[in-house]
Amino acid sequence: MWKELVRLAASTLWANRLRSFLTVLGTAVAVLSIVAVVSVLHGLDKFVAGQILTTGSDVFTMTKIGFIFDFESYLEASKRRDLHPEDAEFLRERLTLSSHVVARQSTTRTVERGRERAKDVPVWGVGSDYPEVGDFPLEGGRHLSPADDRGRAPVVVIGSRVRETLFPNEDPIGKDLRVAGHRMTVVGLLTARGRGSSGDSKDDVVLLPMGTFRKAIESRGTVELMVRAADPEWMADAQDEASLHLKIRRGRKPYEEPDFSVVTDEQVLALFTQATRLIYAALVGIVSLSLVVGGIVIMNIMLVSVTERTREIGVRKAVGARGRHIVIQFLVEAVVLSFLGGAAGALLGAVVAFAVGRFSPLPAAVQPWSVLTGLLLAASVGLFFGIYPARRASRLHPIAALRYEG
Amino acid sequence: MNPLVYMRSVSKIYEVGDELVYALREVDLEIEENEYVAIMGPSGSGKSTLMNLIGCLDTPTRGSYEFAGHSVEELDADELARVRNEEIGFIFQTFNLLPRSTAASNVELPLIYSGMRPAERRIRVGSALSRVGLTDRAHHRPNQLSGGQRQRVAIARALVTEPSLILADEPTGNLDTKTGDEILDEFARIHNEGATLVMVTHEEEVAQRAERVIRLRDGEIESDRRR
Repeated sequence: MWKELVRLAASTLWANRLRSFLTVLGTAVAVLSIVAVVSVLHGLDKFVAGQILTTGSDVFTMTKIGFIFDFESYLEASKRRDLHPEDAEFLRERLTLSSHVVARQSTTRTVERGRERAKDVPVWGVGSDYPEVGDFPLEGGRHLSPADDRGRAPVVVIGSRVRETLFPNEDPIGKDLRVAGHRMTVVGLLTARGRGSSGDSKDDVVLLPMGTFRKAIESRGTVELMVRAADPEWMADAQDEASLHLKIRRGRKPYEEPDFSVVTDEQVLALFTQATRLIYAALVGIVSLSLVVGGIVIMNIMLVSVTERTREIGVRKAVGARGRHIVIQFLVEAVVLSFLGGAAGALLGAVVAFAVGRFSPLPAAVQPWSVLTGLLLAASVGLFFGIYPARRASRLHPIAALRYEG
Repeated sequence: MNPLVYMRSVSKIYEVGDELVYALREVDLEIEENEYVAIMGPSGSGKSTLMNLIGCLDTPTRGSYEFAGHSVEELDADELARVRNEEIGFIFQTFNLLPRSTAASNVELPLIYSGMRPAERRIRVGSALSRVGLTDRAHHRPNQLSGGQRQRVAIARALVTEPSLILADEPTGNLDTKTGDEILDEFARIHNEGATLVMVTHEEEVAQRAERVIRLRDGEIESDRRR
């Protein structure tokens, strides 16, 4: 009997295809939002995790501003004094719980080689200990050295994407390029992170010795200090120690609030996760709203359908359909309708996810659970909002239904 | 053995505003198996109401009605549906076929509601269609069939459950005389094969094909004659 009911529902819906199409738009949009947003958020998650977790769980960063959540605190924080490369030197000499302190300053600049040109490439000035505070595997050449830093040598280490753009099909080591117009020699090439077009920060970067960076690229501006605890277990104490010394260095009393921020990758990630959760919450809101609207449209159309088919209901009852037969018939129709709407939405959502994955740096991919959830929700909406029209149909008196002149 | 239809002082009363309107008043009626009965009467005489009661589409307001051993006045909507499904075949003036279903699907409909297995349904549908000579039209939709053919599909649908009673409401009303005669010939044949037929009509010639004619007036039986 179920097979007949589904076939019957499908043929009825097909006979009114334009109406069916318009009816399920709301449901389709809801499922589309679920599938598309979830896949994009998932991509964002992976992207950000790739961006942030480049250091390690034993590394913290001291910055001028840190996390700012409102404009007033921003104004306040921007009055703080800059951190300087020399602060790294100062801390390195004093810290006992940390093994490395590396200054880093970043900006974006145009990088050229002959007629090849890459705009807005992240350019970092880094202290020569940078391999100690982050994961920077070399594919070829060497890392920047303390001598490069002291001598402000015009040398760079480049990421794999910069190499692809400027040195396709050739070994870049020993070759020259120009960063913001300054001629530099490539001494090292970082290993590709291998996520294709997904754009990891260490694929798309040019590293300069801090001294060179301050001389050629930006002589002012704040740096951030990346500090590695000597032992991951000492993280908290290492942060306190570093914080104390930096306060003293900046002329503040030990008991005063620091005029800088200490952040860890975990904190950044936690913050991001929190933001993602907010987006999920907003998604739930949007989806519930469109599902309710979609459900009401379905209910309305099912009521119209019941009225139009009053005679058919009369005939069915005359030949022996019981109340539940009629209820099931209309419920199946409502569920098939909303399910098809959901399937269409899921398909469109997958197209959106694919497009985002293809044309943006986010590795967006359809999450099967979101498709499943969407389809289940869509079908439940049909079931829930189909009950009232279906019961109404089942309660029609056979004689009145047979006499009905549509 | 009790008659198939056994009505005692059956009334059907409607409230119209503050007034009580008797569609049927104290009707006594018995119909035996294998009878062929025509119910006649002017419009408003109560013949449709009587037909609906006999067909278990409705229950009497007063009185008792026993059909094929069921006390109809005590049945609820679903039980009535079951009696209709198993014991009664309906034939309507406007055929009342489902427009988007094929002839075979229309004939199959009562069997689906009886819960019969698909394989058995197919056999029954095939034999019902062949009884009315429409085997070659099984997969046509109503709009691909002539009026006479549509009414034959409806007859096949009424016969397919092998009911105790076939109820026809103005079965020739929407057909030309020649096609109507063919349908009535069909009825005669079904009757000869042992079926019980009750037919509502307002045409004297049609009624004369039956072996018993009941005339109604103002909700009461005016005459009841056997030929």
